[in-house]
Amino acid sequence: MKIKTTRFGELEVDKKDIIEFTEGLLGFENLKKFFIVDPGDQTLILWLQSIDDAGTAFPIIEPKIFQPNYMVKLLPVELNSLSLENLSNASVYTVLTIPQNVTEMSANLKAPIIINNKTKTARQIVLQDSKLEVRFKMYMDLKKYIVNYASDDSKRTNVNVANKEQGVTTVQANNVTANTTNNKNAEA
Amino acid sequence: MLVLTRKLGESIAIDDHIKIVVVQIKGKQVRLGIKAPPETKIHREEVYKAIQDQNTEASQADLSSITNLANELNKK
Repeated sequence: MKIKTTRFGELEVDKKDIIEFTEGLLGFENLKKFFIVDPGDQTLILWLQSIDDAGTAFPIIEPKIFQPNYMVKLLPVELNSLSLENLSNASVYTVLTIPQNVTEMSANLKAPIIINNKTKTARQIVLQDSKLEVRFKMYMDLKKYIVNYASDDSKRTNVNVANKEQGVTTVQANNVTANTTNNKNAEA
Repeated sequence: MLVLTRKLGESIAIDDHIKIVVVQIKGKQVRLGIKAPPETKIHREEVYKAIQDQNTEASQADLSSITNLANELNKK
């Protein structure tokens, strides 16, 4: 199905890639259906794009990229709510804020997004651990990671392949510019 | 909203498994003790507010934010 988005133009999304947030995200309770867009840029940032609202998308990133020791501990009732037995069949993302001064960017470690890769249901879960920050400054950690790995294209491909093995399919939106969008429209 | 008056040491029972006790009253502050089953999620209201605000701010990012970030990341 074709989905219109403000940032990426019109994208073709497979029904099986649609992620359902039955409770929405905090502050966005009305938006239930999303999909993940991979713009394929070096920042490793993906977008959780709303289907219900073309203008709403959240930049997200896998926390293991900037915080290898980050551990999500879910209560049994939370696992149940996602029909999960453990996190081995789930994807974990953190929501990013990217202010004008990008070095002040932060990730929400307190309330990660957990996706059941099989059922494609997802929730933003507020973790009980009081040490976790809602706005964890991680620019330097991201920079370190990217300096070490991002120039290495093979590494990037591996990240994508790994994602696919876990069952997360992202919609590729390479070279998103006004021009490519127009071309896509023309082809369609 | 149900409003109840309680004295120090008194408590409120919610359902069969949740108990809230007034542990201490000091000036404008009240300390509450909460007994609940382990699967009950208990957070200060501000935590939810902070997450809502973070989500709202996150959703305001656009592709130029990423371009700025990519440029900054590329600086040596």
